[in-house]
Amino acid sequence: MPSPLVRTKLYVPPVRRGVVARPRLAERLGGDRQPRLTLISGPAGFGKTTLLATWAESAGAAGRPLAWVSLEETEQQPGSFWTYVVNAIDTAAPGHVGGLLPLLETPHPSMESVLATLVNALQAMPEGLDLVLDDYHLADGAAISSDVAFLVEHLPPDVHLVISTRADPALPLARLRARGELVEIRAADLRFTLDEVASYLNDVVGLDLDAREIADLEGRTEGWIAALQLAALSLEGREDAAGFIAGFAGDDRYVVDYLVEEVLGRQPGAVRDFLLDTSILDRLSASLCDAVTGGVDGRAVLESLERANLFVVPLDDSRQWYRYHHLFADVLRAHLLEQRPAELAALHRRAADWYAAADEPGPAVRHALASGDVEHAADLIERSIIGLLRQRQEPMVRRWVDDIPDDVVRRRPVLAVGFIGALMSSGDFTSVPDRLDDVERLLADPPGDMVVLVEAELPRLPAAMETYRAALALVAGDPAGTVAHADRAIATAAPGDDLTIAAASALSGLARWSSGDLEAAHRGYSVAVRGLEHAGNIADVLGCSITLGDLRVTQGRLGDARRTYEDALRLAATHQTDPPLRGTADMVVGLAQVALDRDDLEAARAHLARLDELGELNGLPQHPYRWRVARARLRAIDGDLAGAVALLEEAERVYVGDFSPNVRPVAAQRARVLVAHGRIDEALDWAREHHLAPDDDLQYVREYEHLTLARILMHRDSAGLCTAQGLLERLRAAAEDGGRGGTLIEILTLQALAHHAEHGRHDVPGALAPLVEALRWAEAEGYVRVFVDEGAPMAALLEAVVRRDPASTYARRLLDAFDRTTSAPAQQGLADPLSARELDVLRLLAGDLDGPAIARELVVSLNTVRTHTKNIYAKLGVKSRRTAVSRAGELGLLARTSR
Amino acid sequence: MNTAATTDPDGSGWYEIRLHGRLDPRWSARFDGMTLTTGDGFTLLAGRVVDQAALHGLLHQLRDIGLPLVSVTQVQPDDATRPSAHTHRAPGA
Repeated sequence: MPSPLVRTKLYVPPVRRGVVARPRLAERLGGDRQPRLTLISGPAGFGKTTLLATWAESAGAAGRPLAWVSLEETEQQPGSFWTYVVNAIDTAAPGHVGGLLPLLETPHPSMESVLATLVNALQAMPEGLDLVLDDYHLADGAAISSDVAFLVEHLPPDVHLVISTRADPALPLARLRARGELVEIRAADLRFTLDEVASYLNDVVGLDLDAREIADLEGRTEGWIAALQLAALSLEGREDAAGFIAGFAGDDRYVVDYLVEEVLGRQPGAVRDFLLDTSILDRLSASLCDAVTGGVDGRAVLESLERANLFVVPLDDSRQWYRYHHLFADVLRAHLLEQRPAELAALHRRAADWYAAADEPGPAVRHALASGDVEHAADLIERSIIGLLRQRQEPMVRRWVDDIPDDVVRRRPVLAVGFIGALMSSGDFTSVPDRLDDVERLLADPPGDMVVLVEAELPRLPAAMETYRAALALVAGDPAGTVAHADRAIATAAPGDDLTIAAASALSGLARWSSGDLEAAHRGYSVAVRGLEHAGNIADVLGCSITLGDLRVTQGRLGDARRTYEDALRLAATHQTDPPLRGTADMVVGLAQVALDRDDLEAARAHLARLDELGELNGLPQHPYRWRVARARLRAIDGDLAGAVALLEEAERVYVGDFSPNVRPVAAQRARVLVAHGRIDEALDWAREHHLAPDDDLQYVREYEHLTLARILMHRDSAGLCTAQGLLERLRAAAEDGGRGGTLIEILTLQALAHHAEHGRHDVPGALAPLVEALRWAEAEGYVRVFVDEGAPMAALLEAVVRRDPASTYARRLLDAFDRTTSAPAQQGLADPLSARELDVLRLLAGDLDGPAIARELVVSLNTVRTHTKNIYAKLGVKSRRTAVSRAGELGLLARTSR
Repeated sequence: MNTAATTDPDGSGWYEIRLHGRLDPRWSARFDGMTLTTGDGFTLLAGRVVDQAALHGLLHQLRDIGLPLVSVTQVQPDDATRPSAHTHRAPGA
């Protein structure tokens, strides 16, 4: 479930009535040539937000999209910070950056990929964008500033960042200044000038002061706007304005102290009490204020405060929520603390109770902690912790771990196990074993002061703890330990505790998947899916179905994979159809991949088109990379090499594993596209970077990469061909052992091709033997692409199969598929396109076969090859084999898609 | 800013923070544990700061109320401002 957003943080504050026009500042903000960064830096109460709101109103009127975030301390956490930024942009200009949200919801989003994708998305925004980060100082910190610095460096020309802050941010300001890419509006600029003071006090407030009085007030407040507003409030309706100003100017007290005292002194006692009591709140609503003050007129008081300009700021259009101006709230709190320190705890306690009743555990716990009642805070956390973890609100729970003393946690097993869950999902494992031991001891011999608020949770703990131990073992790279703990978790799970059983089964499945035992992995995930379905957690059923489908594909069971996706889609549709349940898109990607395997390109295109309708937001965390991979595959089939590689590179940037082993690394898929287009050297670079060698010990998790390496070696030279054959033989044995039929089919086709490349016409039966076996495995499941993608050499071998066994309808069907898949001439980018046969020759020219060998390969005479070669050179406008190959590479003509 | 006197690795020690303007005594409760002394147009906050994080937290609070900061000095406890008629100690300090 996505984190609940506090929408008021994205609300552009309205411009209050009676604001002094400040053309000198507006001009600098909205100048013709906007800088990369505008920095509004000054203390509280200097009118930063008002200035921005006024400017935002005019920018909005001009039709330019403007995204606004009012930052708070919770945004010191990068996940939260960027979630608000992305939501703000999505609100201002829908449809560009929404795809980032699933990425941000994963437990450890890679900020690099988030930022890279964000920059790309911003580039694609036709109207440009202004992004306002208000109160940036609240979020500033090492983590945020390096990310924001990256964003500033990479902003497209039409996107501008505006930061308002009380302290200069840790950004490379000097460099931006030197390049003229920074506009600064600082305290000296923000202060009201004498003219502005006069205009405010006389024209806006209507005080009718003389020049001397104005000058006195300006001198005493030094143009500090908040102080002038307070002064105006003190002066309104006062008989002796001159006397007040003289007293004020002659006092050396902190201006705000002096003035707030004046203002409070002029309020009726009830309003004064209201202001002090509610100063502890970050946000004010009528009902919350009533709960804290014990009164009933919260709404009326808030409205009158707003009318009187008493420093309340509305946070939404419907006047539900307000806050005090920060500076005013600070002074009110100081008054409260001095005048009624004893009541502070009770006020916070009542606020905590209100938030608890409103089901907002975050602020409830904050107030409980502020009231000094740790047990109350612990109670609140304990009651909400299970729900919060289920909603993936781990960061919030994680913060509380440090707030509740260990001796309180040690008496509360439910709380302790909840904290363990939060620590684990934030990747913080160090203290977990000790904490698990503590809880085990506690449960083995419960002391008299043990606290369990929800008795029903107690029987669930042992299995939950075993599940965490299983996860610890998995993280430590101990699959056997994972399976053992997971089995114990399943055995000890309380009746009806579907979710724990599901989690343990999935962990066990994951461990088995990583070690290559796919059938056991499938069993584990199937149990997990049943448990999740029973618990009504359909989104996670879809998440597990991605894995179930992947496993079936690797096992060579395309039909079962397709059924898995279709069943999941049906299930999702019975729960929610509009909008389709999240995860629907992931199933559609799975169906597209199966359609591609079967060469049903029309169906694949239809599935991929449906993704556009569903939108990227409909996907689970892995979706951003998975759809790009599927689409890249279709582009490669269409002969668009550059497009395929670009998409795969994007996929790599947005890759999120979401706990699944990375068994088909995107980089390896990219290397395969390069090989298929004759770019062997680049593919070899990939293998070197990933430390792959043909004599590595084989492990399932690297099987796809080793198979990719074999493909590269086959195309390198004759020594490589020989090495590849050895590697393929070992891969074949491993795949057979592990029952990985899908992989086996591919290995067998490569063995056939490698054998043929080495022996040619001298040993056709030797090449056909593995091919016939591959066909036997592939036929029932309707595989096509794994053969067709291999191009002319595979077609030649299949023709030999048909010659030998004319009844082989499957081989005939595959040959028909080759005929369908001819490169469309328009895509070649040539005035006189190459024929299918010329393309075959061209692709062989890219290899290291000589003329006679090419003739043998294509079963034609050497003269025919020479004629084709001459025509190819003419059409490409080149004079040598080497330049022909490099030109063909540029044009993407080396894709082996045609016969 | 002055950083003389003892240097604990965590920066723990006694500090005197001088502010421009006279801060009302009520703020002493806010700057828990610090003594607040006011003089002619200035305010002196003095007390023990447990580490650098606490010191920066304190400076943040001062930033947020907008009082101009004049100096931050680490001092020997003996030199620290003695309670006087104008000094208001926070409760429990």
